Order: sequence, then C-alpha cells, then structure tokens
Amino acid sequence: MGAVSERVEIEIAAAAPGVPLVRHALRGLLSGLEVDDDVIADIALAVTEACTNAVVHAYRDSSGTISVTASHADGALTVIVRDHGTGMAPRVDTPGLGVGLPVIAAIAQSVEIGSPRGGGTEVRMRFALAGDAE
Amino acid sequence: MTNGIDVERVDGIDVVTLRGEHDLSTATDVSRRIDSALETASGLAIDLSETTFIDSAVLRVLITAQERANERGAGFAIAVADTSGHGVHRLLTLTGLDSKLSTCPSRAGAIAAASAG
Repeated sequence: MGAVSERVEIEIAAAAPGVPLVRHALRGLLSGLEVDDDVIADIALAVTEACTNAVVHAYRDSSGTISVTASHADGALTVIVRDHGTGMAPRVDTPGLGVGLPVIAAIAQSVEIGSPRGGGTEVRMRFALAGDAE
Repeated sequence: MTNGIDVERVDGIDVVTLRGEHDLSTATDVSRRIDSALETASGLAIDLSETTFIDSAVLRVLITAQERANERGAGFAIAVADTSGHGVHRLLTLTGLDSKLSTCPSRAGAIAAASAG
C-alpha cells in the first residue's frame, strides 16, 4: 500500500435521479484500485441505501442537497453521506422497507450516524477493501 | 448494460424484465408497469436474470407485487438467476427476503411457476 489516497466529493440534489449518479462515481473511484467486483457491488449497495435514506427522509416537502465524500486510504474506503435536512424523523409513508440501515451495517466494517452542527444527518461508513493492492 | 423495463405476454402470463440497474430513481416506473400487468394478466413473472443491481426501494415494489398477485389469485414468481448481479443476490440474502419471495433460478422456471399459480 502506498501513501497515496484517493478522494471524491459529490453534491447532488436530494432527489431520486441523484442516487445512481453517486453509485456510478463510487464505482469509478474503486475501479482503479484493484478491488474485487463483489466488494465494489457491496459498497455500491450500502451507499445507495444511505443516499436513498437521505432522499426520502431529509427534506420531506422541501428541497435540499446531499453531499457524499469518499476517501480511500490504508486499504479502506470511508464514505460520508451528509444532508442538511430535518434529521432522522420516522416516516410512515416511506417508499422503502426500513432495511436500509441494517443492510449498511451488514456490509460496512463500521457505520456511525450523527447529527452534525448545522443540522441534518451524517452517515459515516467504512469499508474494508479486501482486494486492494498492497 | 442499458437499463430498461420490458413487458411481454407469454401464454397469458405477463413477464416484466428488469434490465441493468434499478433503484429509487426507477422504482415508480417499475411499480407502474407491474400494476398495469396485474390488471389483466392471469399471472406475473418478474425476470431479474438481466438485472445487475436493485436496492430496497425496488425490493419493496417486488414484495408489494407478490402481495397484490396473491390477493388477486394470480400466479407470481421472480427469476433470480446466476446471471443476476451480485447486488441482487446480496440484497435478497441480507434482508432474509429470499425466503419470503417466490423465486426461481431461471426465467423459464418463473414463467412456469406463474402459470401454475
């Protein structure tokens, strides 16, 4: 493993069309890192679920943005999905299944959910890149 | 692979094929096509053999489709094949819904199961 780290920052409108854009950008980052395809697929699934949660829950009837930062260092990928919305209030009419966070927790090495200064929600996920080149 | 939703009728069974990636951005379209198929077909097969990715928003659509098919007495089955993407298998396994959804390992098997339903 060299000392070089890779980093991608994306900001999308908090709307459904932005979700695949984040996934494709992450794949672009990981495709150059000799990471196993199944690991990439797992990370794509977890980050998609985090972004979907933000789109569905963060802003309700208002508009806003979601920022995604992915950084690669020391054989791991850290992805932070941040919104500036109303926080993690439950939603009875959610279009999801309520399985997003359990799926993320099952895939990620660690996951932290917080309420940063300025409001909103931040989901910080760390993924081991088992196939990463040493 | 180009993303898409195709619907064709085979012996009275509507076969909804999801190609490529599907998530929150396409879940409404997938749901609409499935609802339309369920209005007239005697059975519904959903083919995920060319699906490279689904998320929980699409999974919810599939579960709702199975529930509606059951309510209508229509046959229902989902093809989850070896050619389906890793993420498709992974999501079904992680959520435990692989045991609750009526799945078959091939498109032909799903059509046959939906016909027999």
